[in-house]
Amino acid sequence: MTKIKEHNVNSDFAMNFGPAHPGSGNFAIKVEMRGERVLKATADPGYLHRGFEKMMEYREPMQNAVMSDRVCVLEPLQWNLVHAEAVDYLMGYEIPDRAKHIRVILAELSRIQSHFIWYAVLSLGTGFMTGFNVAIGYRDYILDVLNLITGGRVYPAGYICPGGVRKDFPEKAENKILELLPKIDYMRKFMLKENPAWLARFKDVGILTKREAIKFGATGPVLRGSGVASDVRRDDPYEIYDELEFEIPVMDEGDAYARFNVGMQEIEESMKIITQAIDRIPKGEVKTPNLKPTVKFQQAKGEIYIRNELSRGEGAFYMVATGQKTPYRVKIRGPSFTHMIPIVEHLLTDVDYADVPAIYWSLYQCPADVDR
Amino acid sequence: MKLGIIKEVFKNVFTKPMTVLFPFEKIEIPERNRGEHSFDIDTCISCGACARICPNLAIEMIDAPQELKKKYPKTYPQIDIGKCCFCALCQDVCPKGSIKLTTNVFLATFDKDDTVRSPMSWNK
Repeated sequence: MTKIKEHNVNSDFAMNFGPAHPGSGNFAIKVEMRGERVLKATADPGYLHRGFEKMMEYREPMQNAVMSDRVCVLEPLQWNLVHAEAVDYLMGYEIPDRAKHIRVILAELSRIQSHFIWYAVLSLGTGFMTGFNVAIGYRDYILDVLNLITGGRVYPAGYICPGGVRKDFPEKAENKILELLPKIDYMRKFMLKENPAWLARFKDVGILTKREAIKFGATGPVLRGSGVASDVRRDDPYEIYDELEFEIPVMDEGDAYARFNVGMQEIEESMKIITQAIDRIPKGEVKTPNLKPTVKFQQAKGEIYIRNELSRGEGAFYMVATGQKTPYRVKIRGPSFTHMIPIVEHLLTDVDYADVPAIYWSLYQCPADVDR
Repeated sequence: MKLGIIKEVFKNVFTKPMTVLFPFEKIEIPERNRGEHSFDIDTCISCGACARICPNLAIEMIDAPQELKKKYPKTYPQIDIGKCCFCALCQDVCPKGSIKLTTNVFLATFDKDDTVRSPMSWNK
């Protein structure tokens, strides 16, 4: 019987997975290999560092709202919302009810399109191009509606701004969103279909136990896929989430399939939230009257740490105001940071190289938000 | 499950594709789309609010050319589309509605100098 040598140094080598790899997305992982087996992985962040925290200290809140889109390209409206909430708190703005509803509807639409991308990149990473094309195609329907409302397909340019939202819904926007829901539901069912190839690639791969998930600071679908029912929308409600009915999907397995499955179940909950918010949306103003049209940030003093449930997990802004036109200090907590450095290094130990894309993408990361 | 796939295939044979045959067919761009700017020099009061709010410093207030100096004695915004991030903050702060973002999104040029729009060039 052939045996593999214990220390076969001739087949040992190290290489980079990313940052220019088609399946890595602007993030590098150095993998130490023995043949086809990954022995150790080291995350190498920084390729996409743009210095947002420092740049925000030199710009006014309205300009920062535009910049907050770029923190994570795949969920810009939700980043808009966290930033806007931080400034709202420091300025003491009372947000009109209509604006709160619009904020929640758009944040949930953004969550759904982000989950579609998750499915798309998981498919891309494992060679299932049909899944990639279909998901990106269906995401386009959502982008069309976002374009109608915010004026941009991907970047809303600070549509959710301090003090409310920049513009009211255009005519028939609510109908357009409701027309979108059956398409989203079709795609959700497509993604949840039991596919033997999909199960073979993701079932029992990259298992993260409950204890490890908590230890490494996982949040969002990654944490809920490991059996912890934690969601900022329920634990620390913001906007109108405390008035809405929705469930928190949780799975105990902790493998790549469980994480993905939690995400797909969340789409259904997001659809519920959108339907409820559209039913209840009141008429009225969408901006606080104090906004004229820029934020007078000189009036703000104090500090705030505010967190939201983004698609990828818990995203937060820490902001200090000292009576100047610009924030004194801004710190951004990206959900992908903990997923991409400690967790990815932990999970990519002693695994097959073929499983690397499956584990890597199942952690639902965004390199832009790791590096910021 | 196999029958489900066959049903799906037949359904897709008779549905329209998701894409359109550009440039023969076009998807309508919503009115609110943030594309190329339009600027009306006659309503501009030269307050410079657009230049101050621009996050990318793409707007510079410049003098009108010598021959038009009598008609337009103040400074007016010159916009560099190459620097612009199309956030439409200039449109929001403009007290007279002189700057507006339009639905024109076809802005590629062969010469990088073509990206600079002088205040006079927008007029008509």
